[in-house]
Amino acid sequence: MKKTVVILLVLLALQSQAQFTKASLQASGLTCSMCNNAIYKALKALPFIASVESDIKNSSFDMVFKRDTPASIDAIKDAVEDAGFSVATFKLTGNFDHVSIADDKHVKIGDRHFHFIKVKDQVLDGEQTITVIDKDFLTVKSFKKFSAATKKGCIQTGKADACGETEGVTKDTRIYHVTI
Amino acid sequence: MLSLTASSQVHYGQQAPDITLPGVNGDTVKLSSLKGKVVLVDFWASWCGPCRASNKKLVKFYPKYKDKGFEILAVSLDKDRADWTKAVAKDKMNWPQVIDDGGWDAKTGEKWGIYQLPTSYLIDKDGKIVAMDLEGKMLEKALKDLLGS
Repeated sequence: MKKTVVILLVLLALQSQAQFTKASLQASGLTCSMCNNAIYKALKALPFIASVESDIKNSSFDMVFKRDTPASIDAIKDAVEDAGFSVATFKLTGNFDHVSIADDKHVKIGDRHFHFIKVKDQVLDGEQTITVIDKDFLTVKSFKKFSAATKKGCIQTGKADACGETEGVTKDTRIYHVTI
Repeated sequence: MLSLTASSQVHYGQQAPDITLPGVNGDTVKLSSLKGKVVLVDFWASWCGPCRASNKKLVKFYPKYKDKGFEILAVSLDKDRADWTKAVAKDKMNWPQVIDDGGWDAKTGEKWGIYQLPTSYLIDKDGKIVAMDLEGKMLEKALKDLLGS
């Protein structure tokens, strides 16, 4: 029994963890994205958002997540699109607990799968901000730059399908493409 | 077409809710003090590009009608008062300026159903709301009708 407990604790310690605490996005569209409150109201209404600030000087929306509710960046993106705009930049901040990342490699952090692109191999510790580079989180021009940096097909879909299945990963598993 | 939010108290043909807000010099300015004039209540903010463009047009327009009983009350939703006063000076607006520094959560903005900037309401001499978002020729036509009486 004692041996099993010890082994379990070791395995838990090996699992990569990060607590995502806040995000910041810039939106783009045909009309002035800061000039109406559609995005502001849509973000405020998300259940995992604790607060939203319109940062006029940077034309960005700064969000703080609630501590107890898991945040969904896809839900944030959908809220911006429902408001009639699209996400031009998306930064996600979290507290990382010794997470090893390598260029063009997948890493599982907590329950989610991330694919880091155009990064130096490194260990993420403490508060770090990563940039989401999935197709709907970037301008077309910026996305082209990042998708050219990997041969893996999952960058185009945000799902594992073209990147192959491994343990715990099916073709429908969401892969978050990010850089730092 | 009037866009109403849940807390909006603005209705066509009805009395405009009063506005009591601080002016540029810290004084208090009330919309009701302008009764007897045709007033354009103009909601804007220094960071709103289309608003600044509209200010430029109003600066040209204002002198034509201000001595005929027309007034503009500019209400800014700027959260930063320094940004506000700088913009007022830069755009050379010499009509009453007030601020409700709550951004999208500003109480006056909510009362008037403001969900986008710029938004303007035209108030007749009796304080009734008669039109929304008029500009250029449409505004001139409305003023000629309202000031003529």
